[in-house]
Amino acid sequence: MEPLTLAIPTGRLFPEAVALLQRLRLLDAPPPERALVLPGPEGGRILVAKPLDILTYVEHGAADAGIVGQDLLLEQEADVYELADLGFGACRAVVAVPAGREALLAGSAPLRVATRYPRVTARFFEQARRPVEVIVLHGALELAPQVGLADAIVDLVMTGRTLRANRLVEVAEVFRSTARLVVNRVSLRLKAPGVRALLEAVAPAVQAT
Amino acid sequence: MRLRPGPRQRWAALPRGLRDLAPAEAARHLRVVGRLRATFRAWGYREVLTPALEYLETLVHGGGPGIQDRLFKVVGRRGELLALRPDLTVSIARLAATRLLPDAAGPLRLAYVAPVYREQEEGRGRLREFTQAGVERLGEDGVDADAEVIALAVEALRRAGIARPVVTVGHIGFLDDALGALPPETRDALVARLYRKQFAGIEATVPHRHLGAFLRELPLLQGGDALAAARAVVRTERGEAALAGLEALLGRLEEHGVGEAVAVDLSIIRDFSYYTGVVFEGYGAGSGYPLLGGGRYDGLLAAFGTPAPATGFALGVDRVVALVADGEEELDVLIAWAGPTARASALRLARGLRETGAAVIAEPGRSWEETLDRAGREGARWVMWVDGDGARVRRLRGDGPAVERRVPVAGAADVVAAADAHQVAAGPEVGAWSH
Repeated sequence: MEPLTLAIPTGRLFPEAVALLQRLRLLDAPPPERALVLPGPEGGRILVAKPLDILTYVEHGAADAGIVGQDLLLEQEADVYELADLGFGACRAVVAVPAGREALLAGSAPLRVATRYPRVTARFFEQARRPVEVIVLHGALELAPQVGLADAIVDLVMTGRTLRANRLVEVAEVFRSTARLVVNRVSLRLKAPGVRALLEAVAPAVQAT
Repeated sequence: MRLRPGPRQRWAALPRGLRDLAPAEAARHLRVVGRLRATFRAWGYREVLTPALEYLETLVHGGGPGIQDRLFKVVGRRGELLALRPDLTVSIARLAATRLLPDAAGPLRLAYVAPVYREQEEGRGRLREFTQAGVERLGEDGVDADAEVIALAVEALRRAGIARPVVTVGHIGFLDDALGALPPETRDALVARLYRKQFAGIEATVPHRHLGAFLRELPLLQGGDALAAARAVVRTERGEAALAGLEALLGRLEEHGVGEAVAVDLSIIRDFSYYTGVVFEGYGAGSGYPLLGGGRYDGLLAAFGTPAPATGFALGVDRVVALVADGEEELDVLIAWAGPTARASALRLARGLRETGAAVIAEPGRSWEETLDRAGREGARWVMWVDGDGARVRRLRGDGPAVERRVPVAGAADVVAAADAHQVAAGPEVGAWSH
């Protein structure tokens, strides 16, 4: 059976991705988060990459499979097979506006929305038939409404604490997301036994969480 | 490689996704193209050339409205919209349906090698101009036509230099049927999911449990198991016919001698909307993308006015070239003459060698040593130094014993022919000339 190269993301999903690989005996000890390539069992490899880059590695076949948040699958529209819901890393993306301005969304005044998910955001408002102007930011989105850069934001929420601390109110849910297992379309054919073994290993481990 | 700081003006740059091929890269590219052309010809497929620009209507009429956003468009002088072809299949369907098929006595076997143009997203490392090589078999239905085209696909990949190609085969009719009983909204949502290859949680979107379980397994259902599993979810004659057709096709592919390179894959969904039956994709180790794709498109010729069944494939030449190891060099002989008195006989020698198909450089030289250096840098297999009536001939590369002789100029070509004939007799390597 040909060994697989598996890409896992740094950041939010890293601890649980590592725990999963340890349960599957693909990793012995938790690696340092700044490691880049780790040896896996039987000649396989584990790549540690930025969350935004996981799908690029898998789409090009530099990694056979990867663990990635569904939020990025929705945003990047990479040509990969999404084969399993890993269950962890649950979060929601919501539209939030400054407290007291909840009526903004229903109105027809031009709306500027800051987000790190420009495509998903554009699609969401298109379906809602609400014309908006999307502004791409890469972090600390809650700042944008405070300084007048945007009227609303679309961002992930886990507990809602950050929103409350910045006097923002959720007005709509855009999507829910969990970590997913993705596989390159060629690896799925040329390394089918390895992919099948990985999927079968993942299924019970996921249900146990 | 040395990267020079260059001028930053736009006139010195190439647009994103376009590139030049310098001689060495062009030679690699053309070597693969040459092998593909020879393979198509060996199977009786005759090459056609069509224009790179077509009416926008033609391309959308054949490729479906989804193609529009990926086309490069050109506005003609009278406001008519033209576009660069994104593939050859639609252009060849137009040509065949409007001109060739109405007069043809029987089925047509056509081939092409040509650049195609598609708008690509930024930052994904995708080319906007790339070369496709492929065949179309027009006017014939049935398993024999499908089998021939798929066997040729395997053969083309092998001849191009892919050591162990894999071609997976599926059928559009099977999924159409398996999903046919579902309410339209459910089916549309499911098809959208399948296009996005989004299989996680797919079982929750269908009301029937066994269909859900089957869809979940679909991407991993390959080989004989796939057909058996598929039978359990098929409900109509059309679906059963699709599966029976696939089974017969696999048998034919065994008879073509490519059985071990072919696998069933019922999850294949091709990007182009014109496919109607058997679909397939070809892969090689080392590339994360398919190397070729194709299938049956029985509706496309009718759309252009002459109903006829059709099947074919397109191979991504650039993807194959990227996988194929550097081959032999292109230059066979470098000839240098010692002075004006030797020039005429050296040029006559070059003419004679070129007539046999050899690639030859002939140029004035200063000394035997300098000519040897030149020949080494050019990657020549043979070097010849012509001074007066004599020639010094040496083999620089190639199997077999070393050769170095001093012969009359008229006999120089025979030295090469004799040594290369010996090499052909001794080994499995290519013919007298290396390409």
